[in-house]
Amino acid sequence: MALNKSHRQTAMDAGLISCHDCGKLMDGRHVPQNGHLACSRCNADVHFRKHQSVPTTWALVITAAILFAPANLLPIMQVELFGSVEYSTIMDGIIYFFHSGEYGIGLIIFMASILVPLFKIVGMISILLSIKFKWKRWLRHKTKMFHFIEFVGRWSMLDIFVIALMSTLVEFGSFTATQAAPAASYFAAVVVCTMFAALTFDSRLLWDA
Amino acid sequence: MIMKSAIAQQIACPACDLLLQNIHTVNGRNLFCPRCQTLLYQKKVDSISKVLAISMAGLLFYIPAIFMPLLTLNAMGMEQTGSIFDAFLCFYNQQYFLVTILLFFTSILFPLIRLSILFTVSLQLKIRLYSKSLFFLFRTAHHLDEWGMPDVYLIAIIVSIIKIHKMASIEYNIGFFCFILLVLMTRATTSALDPECFWRALDKLKIASSNRKSNGSK
Repeated sequence: MALNKSHRQTAMDAGLISCHDCGKLMDGRHVPQNGHLACSRCNADVHFRKHQSVPTTWALVITAAILFAPANLLPIMQVELFGSVEYSTIMDGIIYFFHSGEYGIGLIIFMASILVPLFKIVGMISILLSIKFKWKRWLRHKTKMFHFIEFVGRWSMLDIFVIALMSTLVEFGSFTATQAAPAASYFAAVVVCTMFAALTFDSRLLWDA
Repeated sequence: MIMKSAIAQQIACPACDLLLQNIHTVNGRNLFCPRCQTLLYQKKVDSISKVLAISMAGLLFYIPAIFMPLLTLNAMGMEQTGSIFDAFLCFYNQQYFLVTILLFFTSILFPLIRLSILFTVSLQLKIRLYSKSLFFLFRTAHHLDEWGMPDVYLIAIIVSIIKIHKMASIEYNIGFFCFILLVLMTRATTSALDPECFWRALDKLKIASSNRKSNGSK
């Protein structure tokens, strides 16, 4: 692919906007009176850069970081066995798998419900800081990391789905029953916040610095 | 002043906004941004026909996958069975509303909407039937790709089976196999989908239909 004549000219420099939904390139210099320019093809709102991207992403990432604590410290599941109730946190479930020798599954749950959310929060914070302080190094790696964060976000829902299935299937009257516990809500909120953070963030801002 | 034709020959990298000359690729070759190495375009063969076929197959599996029982557990002389929809109802009864809504959207509603949209859009492109809403629909499908999570759910089913198999004997029911097929079809639509090709076909269809209209009025 050939670079444009003047090296490293962005679409914004040329007064062009590319639609985030369909990729169409259009002239962005004549914004209508109401301030909203719509894509001529798919009618999505188009902007040179996503509106209020950095503050919104900061807010969502900080919210996720705060909610991450109760999500991990409170119990996420309660198991009733012959009348006695036992609560377990996310980490308890993982340790249980390691004790019973099922390392593969233990590792999958550890990655999906602890490592991935943590990586997303830390990764987004480091990207946001690098915009704030205009760090111009490792731009390509940061972009790749952002794509990875976008891709991996949905997989943290794994634990929620497991609990939903367990509480439906393991329901043997008074002998044993499984139910969700408060951390499930916090954990779901963490997943939603980090996924929205990836959506509101505009990776083009990294390259503008 | 930028000429319209000049704009048509350029594209901007979605990740770093670098302005590039648009070039056409051979099937199976990928285009990457020279600055940030983001995948710009991956050309796929016969995208519209494939998406039509696969989304139709996916829709056929949808109802049994969601409403038929997945697994039957046998323990202590008791039997327990459940479907994806039961799992949603179970959370609803436990009054975790945020989780319930999320569960409903990601595992039940969004996969259905996305498959239906892909089916409608590819069918109408195939039979050349234009309607204004196609652009909006296809845009919605693009956004739902990330939020529909049947594939994550499948891994969750496997994790649950490993959790349960020591304390109960497990029977696999129709719902389980249909759900696997639904996940496969959903993934297959993603890998067969060539958004650029769809957008161009939609543009062409729009122009053709407006030409037909103006000819008809004369």
